[in-house]
Parts: sequence; structure tokens; C-alpha cells
Amino acid sequence: MSPEVHAGASVALFLAHAITLEDEAAERYDELADVMAVHHNEVEALFRRMAGYSRLHRDEAQARAAAEALALPPLRPWEFAWPAPESPESAALEHTHYLMDAHQALSLALAAERQAQAFYRQVAETTADSGVRALATEFAEEEAEHARLLEAWLAQHPPSSASPGDDLDPPVAID
Amino acid sequence: MSAAAVLKPKDYKSATRPVWCPGCGDFGVLNALTKALAGLGLAPEQVAVISGIGCSSRLPAYTSVYGFHGVHGRALPVATGLAVARPELTVIATGGDGDGFSIGGNHFLHACRRNANLTYLIMDNAVYGMTKGQASPTSAPDWAGSKLTPNGPGIAAFRPLEIALSAGAGFIARGFSGDPNGLARQLAEAISYPGFAFLQVLSPCITYRPEQMEYKALVSAGFEPLADRNEAFRRLLTDDGFTTGVLFRAPVAAPAPADARQAAGDEAAALDALAREFTAARLRGDGGYEP
Repeated sequence: MSPEVHAGASVALFLAHAITLEDEAAERYDELADVMAVHHNEVEALFRRMAGYSRLHRDEAQARAAAEALALPPLRPWEFAWPAPESPESAALEHTHYLMDAHQALSLALAAERQAQAFYRQVAETTADSGVRALATEFAEEEAEHARLLEAWLAQHPPSSASPGDDLDPPVAID
Repeated sequence: MSAAAVLKPKDYKSATRPVWCPGCGDFGVLNALTKALAGLGLAPEQVAVISGIGCSSRLPAYTSVYGFHGVHGRALPVATGLAVARPELTVIATGGDGDGFSIGGNHFLHACRRNANLTYLIMDNAVYGMTKGQASPTSAPDWAGSKLTPNGPGIAAFRPLEIALSAGAGFIARGFSGDPNGLARQLAEAISYPGFAFLQVLSPCITYRPEQMEYKALVSAGFEPLADRNEAFRRLLTDDGFTTGVLFRAPVAAPAPADARQAAGDEAAALDALAREFTAARLRGDGGYEP
């Protein structure tokens, strides 16, 4: 949320953002998994797994709202106050490639998790609402935990010598 | 689907997996379209997406609304027919810059003039992607990325917004696929406009135009909606091709109810007369018309 929004953010508004952040992250991971499946790339499974994690966190945020019987504000997609054009945990589409390997896929996911962590941390640091601060701090720590997990996975999948640019059958060669 | 159900963007997506290249800007456009439809709360069965041929023209298959994947460059005639025959539907025509400005260029001009109530969404990547990277109408004259035009196409690029302004389009905007939420808002405005709405979307093809990965750093929101066509032309004099926003929105004068009824009545009478004329010619056998 933008600084102007954080200042007066309610728990309901914050949870509306958190639920959408996780939902859109899951959608994006599924989208990436689908496109990797189309291109027979095994990193599909990794993106599918990440989508599952994001859905778990979305459900967790939804459960918080339900437990407190909060009526979430019905925001249209362009009414969310994200710090960037897309919600923070949506992996960057433009950094994907049909030949991307596990290291590159994990790096993409790590960047998304860190953006989500930064978003929650910023909300926690700027909000005037103690309830929002507590939730944002907790969610930021969860995202930090995901980032640590991804860093451990990255250590198991070192970068390959080939880059996505090393395509033995580059598309432009057919022209 | 229940009218009371709150629809989410994913409710407008089909189960068909896109075959677009990873990183294609068209993913962002698909997301923006589904967000716009959800934001407007339109029932999927009240929406039709019509396309031509090309990578971006695959979009209808990836939505759950009605769709028609038509002939190359002919999305607009089909969409216009649908919008006229079924005015209660929300009609959206989609395609790429080659499909819309070259193969279908003539239809584009006259769709702007006719002002049927539909939205035309062009995913502009300045290249023919599906046929593996040839120069398109919006490629720069010196773009030498294709072996077919090693020194560039050498002719001035088609300027969609100027052309749409000249041809009389009532709503003209430019968006960016890397900003799906902002694009969704523009699309919602375009769809809500009661007339022909044209939206050029900068949608990178990172496979054949990898330099378009830089678009994110180049686009800037700078257009403010103008209601005066001449002012809009002046605004375009300083446009670098990366300014986004609604450039022009012609004021819409709602016809007085009595005038509207009169117009509808006149149109119905004219159609009845035409039908009678055809029927009579067929019965006489001299109409050159075979049922």
C-alpha cells in the first residue's frame, strides 16, 4: 500500500490487500507452470509448488478475516494501493524464458518473496494501526522464512553454465 | 451463473493453457482484460471477444466469455456485425499490430468512422511474432532485426493514435501490458464508452524483439483525457510513443428519448422495406438472389 494508504489502513483493508497479494502470486505461479508445461520444461513442478504455498497463505489470511468477522472492502483490481504496477509477490513475467532452469526459476521466486517481505515490512513501519502493524510484522516474517527456504533450495541448484540465451535452435534463425 | 455471484478475474479465464512464449506481454493483457471484466461485474455470457490471426489473436481461447477466432485482419467486421445485431452484448475485438493495421488496416479506418459500440484492443509489439519475426506496420523504419529487411523496412511506422483520431474514433488510449492493473482500468473505461473505443497496448515480444524488455523503463503515464480532437493532435506532437493514458474521449451527446425512439423506428422501417424488396425480387425471380 502506498504511504498515504498505510497511515489510515484498517485491518480489513490490510487483509484485503494480503489476500489479493497471495491470490495473484498463486495465479502468476500457475500461469508460469502452465507455460512451462506447454514448453516441456520441468520447472513447471517448482512453479506449481510455489502456487500451492501462496494459496495456503491466502487461505490463512482469509481465515483471519473470517475469525474476526471482518467485512473486507470490495476493491476493484485497480483500486489496490500497491507500491508497483503489480502486486508485490507476482513473479516478473518478463524475466522468464522457455529454457529457464531450476536456478533461474528459484531466483525469480526469491525476488517475488523478497518484494512481498519488503511490502509487509513497509506497512508495519508506517501504519498507525496497532492491529495492522502486528499482522504486517507477522506476514513479513513469514515471507522472510520463505525467502530463506528458497535460498537453501538455490544452494542445491547452482547456476548452470548455459544461460537462456544459449538456445541451440534460436527462433530468429528461421527467418 | 448467479447474477449475485461476485466474479473474480480468474472466472473469466478458460482452462486452455496459453501457448504464448514465456515473458510475452500478452499474458499481461489477458490478466488486464479479466480484471477489467471482473471490475465491471460483467456476466461472462454477456461478453464476446472477437479476434483475427496472430499470437495475440489467440486471446479469446483463453477466456471463458464467448469468443470468435476469425480470419486474418477481419476481427473488426465480425465484431461490428455482432455489436450491431446484439447491442446488449459487450463486444471486444482483439489482435496485433499486423492483423489490425496492415491486413485489417482498412477495417480499422472504417470502424473508427462507423462508431459501433465496441472496444478494439490492439496488442502492439511492432513485429509479426507468429511468423517468426518480420517487420510489422509499427516497426521503426531502421529496425534491422529481420533478415527479410536487413536494413530495416525503410518506411515510416504506422501511427495508430493519429490514424484513429483522423478517422473519427471517439475514445483513444494507450496502455502497457506490464501494468495490468492500470491497463484494466483503461479497459474498463474503454468498455464503458458508448461507441468505438480504441486501445493500443504496448505488449513486448521478448522473443523477436528482446530490446522491448526495456519498455518498463520507457513508459510513462502522461496522457490526460482531452475532449477536443485538435488538442489531442497537438498532444501527439510531443508523444514519444511510450506515453500511456486516455488521450481522447469525445463527449457523448445522449439522444433525447423521443429522438432515439424515432431513430429506432426509422431504422426498423427501413429494414422492413429492404426485406420486402428482397422478398419481392425473389418471388419475381429477378433479384439475383438465391436463398
